[in-house]
Amino acid sequence: MIRSLFLIVALLILSGTSLRAQNLPFDMTPERPADSPALVSPTPEQGTNTPASQPVTVTPDVEPAEVQAFQRYILPNGNLGLNGEFENLTWSVYLTPQQAADGTKLNIGYQNSIFVAPETSRLSIEVNNTKIADEAIRSSESISERSLDLPKGLLKPGANLIRMQTSQRHRTDCSVQSTYELWSNIDAEKTYISFADNTSRSLQSLDDIKAVGVNEEGRTRFNFVVPALEQPGATIPLMRLSQGLAVLADMPNQSFSFSRNTMTAPAPGEMTVLVGTPAELLPYLPSLPIGAAGSAFAGFVTDPATGSPVLVVTGASWQAIQAAIESIVAPTETAAPVRREVITTQRWRSPDAPFLFSDTRLGFSQLGLRTEEFSGRRFRSDFTIAVPSDFYASSYGEAVILLDAAYASTVLPGSHIDVYVNGSIASTVPITSSGGGILRHLPINVTMRHFRPGVNTIAIEAILATKDDAVCAPGTTGLEAPRFALFDTSEFHMPDFARIGQLPNLAGTAGTGAPYGRNGTPTPIFMDRIDDDTLSAAATFLGRLAVGAGRPVAIETVASPALIGNRNAIFIGSISQMPQMVFTQMNIDEASRNTWGPDPGGQANGVDTQTALDEWRSKLRGGLWSEQINALENWAKQNFDITLSSLRFAPVSESNFMPSSEASLLVAQGPSPDGTGNWTLVAAPTGKDLHEGMVAMSAQGFWEQLGGRVTTYEQGTKTVQTVPVTTFSFLPTQPASFFNYRLIAANWLSTNILSYAVLLVILVLILGLATASLLGNLGRRQ
Amino acid sequence: MRKAGIIIFWAIASLCVIALVTLPINLQTQLIASIAVVTFMAVIKILRAEGTWRLTALAFGTAIVMRYVYWRTTSTLPPINQLENFIPGFLLYLAEMYSVMMLALSLFVVSMPLPSRPSRAASPGNYPSVDVFVPTYNEDAQLLANTLAAAKAMDYPADKLTVWLLDDGGTLQKRTSANLLEDQLAKARHQELQILCADLDVRYLTRDRNEHAKAGNLNNGMQHSQGELLAVFDADHAPARDFLLETVGYFEDDPKLFLVQTPHFFLNPDPVERNLRTFEKMPSENEMFYGIIQRGLDKWNASFFCGSAAVLRRQALNQTGGFSGVSITEDCETAIDLHAKGWNSVYVDRPLIAGLQPATFASFIGQRSRWAQGMMQILRFKFPILKRGLSIPQRLCYMSSTLFWLFPFPRTIFLFAPLCYLFFDLEIFTASGGEFLGYTLAYMVVNLMMQNYLYGSFRWPWISELYEYVQTVHLLPAVISAILNPRKPSFKVTAKDESVLVSRLSEISRPFFIIFGVLVLALIVTVYRVYTEPYKADVTLVVGGWNLLNLILAGCALGVVSERGELSATRRVKVTRRCEFGLDDKWYSATIDDVSVNGARVNVYAKTIGSLPVDTRGLIRFKPHGSNIEEILPVAIRNTQVDGDIITIGCQYLPEVAHHHSLVADLIFANSQQWTEFQRSRRGNPGLFRGTFWFFGLAFYQTTRGLAYFFSNRGSSDKARKPARANK
Repeated sequence: MIRSLFLIVALLILSGTSLRAQNLPFDMTPERPADSPALVSPTPEQGTNTPASQPVTVTPDVEPAEVQAFQRYILPNGNLGLNGEFENLTWSVYLTPQQAADGTKLNIGYQNSIFVAPETSRLSIEVNNTKIADEAIRSSESISERSLDLPKGLLKPGANLIRMQTSQRHRTDCSVQSTYELWSNIDAEKTYISFADNTSRSLQSLDDIKAVGVNEEGRTRFNFVVPALEQPGATIPLMRLSQGLAVLADMPNQSFSFSRNTMTAPAPGEMTVLVGTPAELLPYLPSLPIGAAGSAFAGFVTDPATGSPVLVVTGASWQAIQAAIESIVAPTETAAPVRREVITTQRWRSPDAPFLFSDTRLGFSQLGLRTEEFSGRRFRSDFTIAVPSDFYASSYGEAVILLDAAYASTVLPGSHIDVYVNGSIASTVPITSSGGGILRHLPINVTMRHFRPGVNTIAIEAILATKDDAVCAPGTTGLEAPRFALFDTSEFHMPDFARIGQLPNLAGTAGTGAPYGRNGTPTPIFMDRIDDDTLSAAATFLGRLAVGAGRPVAIETVASPALIGNRNAIFIGSISQMPQMVFTQMNIDEASRNTWGPDPGGQANGVDTQTALDEWRSKLRGGLWSEQINALENWAKQNFDITLSSLRFAPVSESNFMPSSEASLLVAQGPSPDGTGNWTLVAAPTGKDLHEGMVAMSAQGFWEQLGGRVTTYEQGTKTVQTVPVTTFSFLPTQPASFFNYRLIAANWLSTNILSYAVLLVILVLILGLATASLLGNLGRRQ
Repeated sequence: MRKAGIIIFWAIASLCVIALVTLPINLQTQLIASIAVVTFMAVIKILRAEGTWRLTALAFGTAIVMRYVYWRTTSTLPPINQLENFIPGFLLYLAEMYSVMMLALSLFVVSMPLPSRPSRAASPGNYPSVDVFVPTYNEDAQLLANTLAAAKAMDYPADKLTVWLLDDGGTLQKRTSANLLEDQLAKARHQELQILCADLDVRYLTRDRNEHAKAGNLNNGMQHSQGELLAVFDADHAPARDFLLETVGYFEDDPKLFLVQTPHFFLNPDPVERNLRTFEKMPSENEMFYGIIQRGLDKWNASFFCGSAAVLRRQALNQTGGFSGVSITEDCETAIDLHAKGWNSVYVDRPLIAGLQPATFASFIGQRSRWAQGMMQILRFKFPILKRGLSIPQRLCYMSSTLFWLFPFPRTIFLFAPLCYLFFDLEIFTASGGEFLGYTLAYMVVNLMMQNYLYGSFRWPWISELYEYVQTVHLLPAVISAILNPRKPSFKVTAKDESVLVSRLSEISRPFFIIFGVLVLALIVTVYRVYTEPYKADVTLVVGGWNLLNLILAGCALGVVSERGELSATRRVKVTRRCEFGLDDKWYSATIDDVSVNGARVNVYAKTIGSLPVDTRGLIRFKPHGSNIEEILPVAIRNTQVDGDIITIGCQYLPEVAHHHSLVADLIFANSQQWTEFQRSRRGNPGLFRGTFWFFGLAFYQTTRGLAYFFSNRGSSDKARKPARANK
């Protein structure tokens, strides 16, 4: 901490005057022991032999001259906010053997909220489970940087776990509300691993593709340069290569960009991929590796112009190129029936999310949670699990957390422990007894309502009230006595849940690439034209599917939609070029073919009937009777989540969808004409919109929101809108079993709740009749 | 074949319903389904639909109950690692499951009870010989005289009818007892009863040793008699004249018939009815049994012997060696043995005898303890569900009858379960407020509706709970002891001839006040916790509401144990019968207004008499039933009341010869039709809401009365502890 202050000071004054003297006015830690050496690096000196770790001066990597030195940005999603009183995040960064050997420093830049009390707030960083920093958080004024030495041998070739954890306390306020004012923002641009020299930049083996990394916004991009891009035979191999790269890199925000002739300048988080015959590639890479001219070659070549590595895939013909592509893609291919144990998430959060298909119990330690003792007022910790795309239990299902925890005697009744699923509250357990307590496998039912196919984040939050907090004497926020402990012996129990595919279900496609990921035969893909933008969008979309599915999706291109028949298919292109039957099957207004696009006038398109009606209703509220009805409605809504619209017998039919003028990308799903195939449409008004929209949509934050039957992305507001599924058909994914059907029925009836009542009434009437005739025929009668 | 088809259809329908109710649907769906079902049931009930609709309504209720059971089993038990919660929680669960099982069994028994049989009079000229047994142990001579006289007066060919007084109070064992007092009393009793029997032309029989109590006594009677049929009357159960004619005919129809049972009709209220003053307007407790359950049992050929007011076939009894005496409820035990041997029974739903029931709370409890213990013995020694020879419906019926007496266990648990939370903060039932509404409340409402549907006009809302509660306090130890020591309980004759002359607390009332106090404390804790712990006020309110229900029951029970003093020793029966009243050799026109076993009230048309001194001797002249000769009964005037030309005279019988007892019996017992009418007058279904309001009002009043007795009678309780004998 002190050191980072020095850095700022050094940057500010850029002078050689006595650092210590200059520092004193800024020192805000009078309680710090006077004898502690101010300039000692937090890592122990032994074991670090590199000269850079000498705790003597301002580290050189912030000097302007060193900017050129190779760095790897490490934050997977751009700037990282660590909020509240306790938060941590663990993820892994893939390093090549060279990088692992040469990585010397981990640079961190962060700024925190003014409310964070530096005396009692700490930021700690671990690399491969070794703590390399644990220091006070004191950078509310501006972003401060810390350069942390990485002991030799700490970094390993391959995945390296990085854990950042904050424990923050408010300066003055003891309320739970105040904990939301606590944040530390880790700045992506200033957070990177720096290397001793530039040789780490080079990539050697194909495995090094995984080290593609991210840029300062957390994005990863593969820039394809394919001179023969528009050649019809090239599309399938290119899509296969891009999917292979996507699976290998497995980064959270990947996109692909295709170009026939432009090589972009090398940049962090980007990889240039040259695909073509040696002759085609000649203009871009004068010196092809030896042997590449004759046979297929796939490997890294250093671009002499920039000195950065370029992935070259070449061969004498496209057959040979395909073979070269296979050498990259083949390792990512898994036999289709293999069931994945996890969905890999570790590039953005570790450990990988366990993939749950049926009744499973998982200890919190397996889920990456540690036993934590906590002295603040709002404790939050989370973990991830994944469910398959045929998950169909959101209406009835309940998972159980068997909580092992303890709370101190100071914790007042009225405190509570909440469980959130994907950010929505799923359960609340009040703490009702005073005097402390130990919860041993306390079952907490967690509704599965907010579960979605793919990765789900489940958070446990404890809100702890104490008398001390109510009084809030000075210093209360920093009290060390633990109030709450969460033990890693707690368990998450997923019961058997209903499994059946639903069509449409974009969430399933987004989560696990269903159904394309498990298609036995190649999926036909229809593109209205083969150009840079369309291919970029297609590759980005397919890359996402491949990551979700964990393997590349086999595809074939079709020239005419008529050839698709009733197979599963993907349509990508500008909306105006889409075949008519796509509009019918997806229930999209065909007028959008002509009208969708940026609205030049920018005027609102009329008044929405429903909102207007609601407004009039609230305006004209009055009259005793209607007020009572309203009160009842509200009561039912509040307490039981029952609304008039949820009282239904069967799904209501859906209306034609018309994309709004603000939308720039549309992803929709619908059945094939006979209902057996799953068709997905990715469309935009123009090719440029398609490319940009798909790149934006592929970012993790947006991709996770993909769901319903139609999802649109609005470039202007950077928001995602979803049209929920109302009518859908079932696609059996499991062998017929009574227990699965029973659960499916439970979910369907829990969604269409009047049907249950009606079914019950009918069956009971039949039973009544049966009983009457039974009793009329048995026993004595007169 | 058709039967098999119907059974299969029913089984499929049941499986479908079971599959549907065991779906793990969400709370919203459950709520809507509950509302739908309750609405349907209410509509069916309001329309008073019967027949198939009745069964449909019950099926609706069953569906909700099954959903509750499913939910209760899968989602509400406390985690097993919290033993402090789990153990009481599991006990509560067991208690609830017992209740559900009893509901299922009673549904089986009474969902379609057999309609009352049309009268099956014995064919003229085909009268089998009948021995009437009146077993006695310690009842006094006058009571016996009435019963014997009534038995003797039954319409039946005299040569076919032999009445036996089977005296177990005057056995050789008693007459030669080492206990001098007992010895003297037995000798005197032996003497007195012999004379009485001689006067009434009744056979007197006693035996050497008092072995096997009532069963042994009856078997002794069997050994000394030869009648084809046996009729058994308790000492205080006097038959109407048509008793035999209405019952023996069935034996002619079915050669495998061993029993014709008739209801027990009581002239006096039980202590609950007496203390709550409900005898005149609310159906008696036993009417649910005799009005519905026995009819339901009869449908399955499982109506059983109730110890009295029944006719049995000697041939059948001989097959099992007479009446069984393993348990202290020899009646039910005998029936189960004979049913297992393939004999049939019939129940005639028409009161043909009138009797007395215990008047004090203590003897009421004593009687119930015997029943409960006896049923426990049967459960233990005969275990009906596995008893060979019984049909499956019979097994279920007997299980229903015996398991019923385990009710003290769940009652106790229901009583104390809310206290676990209110006092000790244990969470023995994990459910949210919404779930409570959607499942528990629906279950409770449906349960009440089903009860009302099944027993509506025979049992008003909450009365079952009250009876169970007042018995539980003392029955629980009795049942436990019978379970632990099934051979220990011995036959104790229930005293039925007591009466309460002075208002007082029952001698066994103390536990009721203690429990009431604890529940009041729990109510205070509820209020306190609602205010001090607002974050769990919802749970506290629900549990507190449950406790409040218990408190209302406990409060009402305070009234039950506060015995009202009554001037009239025995219940009067309204008769309205023409007669003439003789005074000083003059006869006045009169009507007999009402009668009891001790006396009568007569309205005399006489302008001139004026008020009469007490103990003036008078005569009542009337024609007995089935006779054209007027007979005279001497009485002593106890009080007079002049109202214009009509003088109302209360008088006491002065039976001088045995024949006078026959006249008294004729006045009271001859006409069984009046009992039926009296019962009908009380039957009426107040409905769930009205019944509940009425009960809460009653409970409030009885609570205050009980407390008033408690505070005013503490000093005098010793004096009151000696029950006064009324018939002396």
